[in-house]
Amino acid sequence: MANISIRNVHKSYGAVEVLKPFSLEINEGEFIVLVGPSGCGKSTMLKILAGLEPASGGEIFLGEREVTDLAPGDRDIAMVFQNYALYPHLTVRQNIGFGLKMRGMPAAEIETRVAEVARTLEVEKYLDRRPKDLSGGQRQRVALGRAIVRQPQAFLMDEPLSNLDAKLRVHMRAEIGALHQRIGVTTVYVTHDQIEAMTMADRVVIMRDGVIQQIADPDTLFQRPDNLFVAGFIGSPGMNFLSAEVERDGGRAWIDVFGNRIEVDEARLAGASAVIAGIRPEHLKLGAGPASFQVRPSLVESLGSEKYVYFDGGPHTVAREDGEEDKSKGLIARLSHTGHMSEQDKLELSFDPSDLYLFDAKTEKALR
Amino acid sequence: MKRTPMQSLVLYGTVILLAALILFPVYWLLVTALSTSADLSQLPPSFWPENAQWQVFAKVWEERPIPTWLANSMLAAIGSVALSMVVSVMAGYALSRFSIRGGHSLGLFILTAKMLPATLLVIPLFSIFRSFGMIGSLWTLVIAHSTLIIPFTTWMLKGYFDTIPRELEQAAMVDGCSPMGAMLRVVLPVATPGLAATALYAFVLSWADYAYARTFLINAQGSWTANLGITTMRGEYTTDWNEISAAAVFVAVPIILIYLFLERYLVGGLTAGAEK
Ligand SMILES: Nc1ncnc2c1ncn2[C@@H]1O[C@H](COP(=O)(O)OP(=O)(O)OP(=O)(O)O)[C@@H](O)[C@H]1O
Ligand SMILES: [Mg+2]
Repeated sequence: MANISIRNVHKSYGAVEVLKPFSLEINEGEFIVLVGPSGCGKSTMLKILAGLEPASGGEIFLGEREVTDLAPGDRDIAMVFQNYALYPHLTVRQNIGFGLKMRGMPAAEIETRVAEVARTLEVEKYLDRRPKDLSGGQRQRVALGRAIVRQPQAFLMDEPLSNLDAKLRVHMRAEIGALHQRIGVTTVYVTHDQIEAMTMADRVVIMRDGVIQQIADPDTLFQRPDNLFVAGFIGSPGMNFLSAEVERDGGRAWIDVFGNRIEVDEARLAGASAVIAGIRPEHLKLGAGPASFQVRPSLVESLGSEKYVYFDGGPHTVAREDGEEDKSKGLIARLSHTGHMSEQDKLELSFDPSDLYLFDAKTEKALR
Repeated sequence: MKRTPMQSLVLYGTVILLAALILFPVYWLLVTALSTSADLSQLPPSFWPENAQWQVFAKVWEERPIPTWLANSMLAAIGSVALSMVVSVMAGYALSRFSIRGGHSLGLFILTAKMLPATLLVIPLFSIFRSFGMIGSLWTLVIAHSTLIIPFTTWMLKGYFDTIPRELEQAAMVDGCSPMGAMLRVVLPVATPGLAATALYAFVLSWADYAYARTFLINAQGSWTANLGITTMRGEYTTDWNEISAAAVFVAVPIILIYLFLERYLVGGLTAGAEK
């Protein structure tokens, strides 16, 4: 086990810089999740850590050792691939033991270690099968087994659950979490699923176009996003955004949100003349409140204990760049309401102005 | 998907027809070998000689240097397969995995080489070999066959390597292999079906050659390959077609045996299960 120190690592393919200078200190035993939309450079970062791709610049330390120029096999890290990359010509036993054999461990010791790992991951019954005769979940376990059997300094995992069906994914997520609790190896985990990121991580690194957007624990990320992208990326359903001009008069400032004139602290605005106001769907309440407005729902989705009410937010609506929901549905309110509700009925919604997030419209940075 | 009886009928009908079409020459070869000269000139031809002359095989085997010819063919084919496979495994792997500057045009260049007919290449090859004093050796034939085979096998293997996910090598490297080790321990074993198919193809190309053997070996009687040897069995005045056919059967047998032996490698992808 060791800490990982990534110092100013960057990567270009030809003229395209896919990773901007990237620095990150990962503590010993920490579970770090890299998350971001497709193509943002997550896998590239992981491959650089593994030594499968050379960095264009910067340094990587594993504990006290600099590993920047070491071959993958000399770094003492293990990697779990998205497609598992099990060796198809070897049995499960040989797959798990391969790395030990390459390191010249005596056969008897390999045997005991493989047996132990197989017991931990409950794959003892399949030890003599080939990967093609296993289910997706079993292959996933074998891939994990191949990583943990070596007792490496760190684990790298690249979307290890994305090939599993939803139910198995939730199950394996919990298992990986439990495994990490037990063996406590420093882990860098890549996903583009924010739920995986939020539930598993000690700290989450949000990336976009090769640039780190924010590094924080899940709660901070949710409550205090640093910028518009993070605010829109974290949370499901995602945050609603409205653009607003700042009106100033006599040292006070206001913005208009859903027809409500809301006073904002000038210090918070930091001189911005246009902002984007964000409100989480769960902060919208049914009925009158501190700031209210009328909507006609375009769609009501009932989830039993709560309802997702979609509505047209008017000309000020700002589409999220990377939401999981269909943008054409408009804004969304997440209401705890079990009664009947239909698209025809006008609704009164309200919110507490203190729940508003504000972002500078130009820089997209959070205004707090 | 379940087939309707009609679909099955069409499918099996087509397969049987195709098999018959392909097998008929082989069958006719056997019939010719077993017939007497009189049987052969008879019209309409009979589909099985009245008293089959099985002793023709023993006669040909004794009277002609068939074992030597077969051994020469075998040596040339095995040599060509070995040389071509070593070269094309490495070339195909490099073309598949590394983005070398000009790699794409290099690949296309190899592809062009494979489209040139052997008969066109035989003339320059002859003058090259002659200036090196290499005419008349079986090793010359190995080299000549390899020049013909390598473009094909390189492309076949590149295509096969392309289907093997890179993550397999990456996993092997993380597990402690060198890039070469990853190729030898993981990629090649996984590519066994592709290697077997390619090697077989190379073998057949060499085994079936006549033009190169005729050009480079005609004056070296001890090095004659089977195909070259058989053609010399045509007499100036009379030709014993049954004996030539019997010799041809001997030439066909090794290929058939190899196919039977390699069949299990040729069918069935070993890569299944690497992913997902
Ligand atoms: N070998 C390469 N040559 C050129 N560009 C590359 C290469 N590998 C990756 N890229 C580019 O680098 C960027 C980052 O790719 P990367 O695979 O790291 O994305 P990712 O965040 O893992 O995405 P995903 O979630 O889809 O897996 C992409 O724009 C990709 O096109
Ligand atoms: Mg990726």
